[in-house]
Amino acid sequence: MKRLSGVSGTIFRRWDEARPGMRLAIGAAVLAAVGLTGLTPNVVLGQTLVWPYAAMVAAAGWGRSGLAFAPMAALVFFGLAQDVTSGAPIGCFALVNVLIFGASAGLNQMFDADRAGDLGTAVPLICIALGFVLVWLIASLSGGHVAKVLPLVTALVITVLFHIITAPLFDLGIRRGQNAGSAL
Amino acid sequence: MPRYDGKGVKRRPLRRYGFFIAVAALVGLLLLQTSPRLSEQVQPVRTAASDQLLPMSGPSVMDNVAGRSAKDRRIIALETEVRELSQYKAMALSMAERLEVYESILNMQGEPAGAEVTARIMAEANGPFAQALLANAGRLNGVEEGHYAENQHGLVGRVVQVGRRSSRILKVTDFNSRVPVMGEVTGLRAIMYGGRDGYGRLTDRPEAGEFVPGERIMTSGEGGLFPRGIVVGQVVERGDQPRVELAMEAGQLSYVRLKPSTLIRKPEDEPVTEDVAAELTDGAAE
Repeated sequence: MKRLSGVSGTIFRRWDEARPGMRLAIGAAVLAAVGLTGLTPNVVLGQTLVWPYAAMVAAAGWGRSGLAFAPMAALVFFGLAQDVTSGAPIGCFALVNVLIFGASAGLNQMFDADRAGDLGTAVPLICIALGFVLVWLIASLSGGHVAKVLPLVTALVITVLFHIITAPLFDLGIRRGQNAGSAL
Repeated sequence: MPRYDGKGVKRRPLRRYGFFIAVAALVGLLLLQTSPRLSEQVQPVRTAASDQLLPMSGPSVMDNVAGRSAKDRRIIALETEVRELSQYKAMALSMAERLEVYESILNMQGEPAGAEVTARIMAEANGPFAQALLANAGRLNGVEEGHYAENQHGLVGRVVQVGRRSSRILKVTDFNSRVPVMGEVTGLRAIMYGGRDGYGRLTDRPEAGEFVPGERIMTSGEGGLFPRGIVVGQVVERGDQPRVELAMEAGQLSYVRLKPSTLIRKPEDEPVTEDVAAELTDGAAE
């Protein structure tokens, strides 16, 4: 038990010391793993699992460190991949990811919402929820009819759960006042 | 510890411009796709990307090391066999219905048979966008656009996009899918499309009358998109409206059978040209 807590302590310490570039790479690897696993048949006991929109969680998380080119490029890439797999118009998820990223950066800068506090908790959730509204809007406009809400609501719930579990992985570790561009 | 430097402050507007340029470019890309002609140009890119997803469907290194892949292959082979056999059940039912019509109408044109392919579903999009499946069989396997897909329970959808090794199937649950159907008991015809509640909706009914709850809904074969007599589902009452509970949803959508649709030759123009008339006369003389 002591050894286990020692290992976890080392991991946390390494993560705290990790540079933003390394954190971005690890976050992108997590996104890729979640995305690729979501492509394989995920049926458990005859029930198809709902898969989270992980890139939205990453966008909200990375956005808290301010605007930067590298996370934006990664979000566009993962968004385009999601467009292809989900049959969405090319650019849809990329746009949603970038907008969440921008909204997260803007809101954090505007309200001084750092990692702690109610606002710090609410901002990513607001951004993710807005992202889902945008996906629904684009789906309705591109489909020429009102898109189904239920699949999106279930995906939103799963995405929020995913955010609760993995949010620290999408923290670039740059606090307000530091400059994201100088690190990435 | 917060850190400020002049270089970063200078770079901030550049990143902001980058953000707005990215947003504008992506909005532009989305708007371009509202044009049918331009969106056709995007399809090859999407198809090529779908093809690239295929290697992931193979056994992993860990599976090979653990010896699971051989066992899995055997299970998959057996499952495929069971699925093919259970298809005969559905086929027999639809053939009985068809036979009845054949017996009453002599000299009726039968459904042409064609090459069939069993494909594994690699990805399923059930989100807000087109309800589609990505299958691991494409042009190299003989799949063509317009082929229809069915599982052991009934009709699944229609192939709308074909790559070299993959194809995209528009499910009958999609709002934009249109399937000419008929009731097995009443014989009423209608067009079915996917509803928001997961049930098929019936519209464009040329005849007066009501579908009977519980009656099976089959493809009518009109328009040639689907052959006649494929099981689609059964009628259920939802509110005051008849809805179709889709048969394909009874099982998992792991495998589908891709089959060519009925090809109806275009009739010759009236009046018949001399060449065609001479050809017909020669044929009759022979």
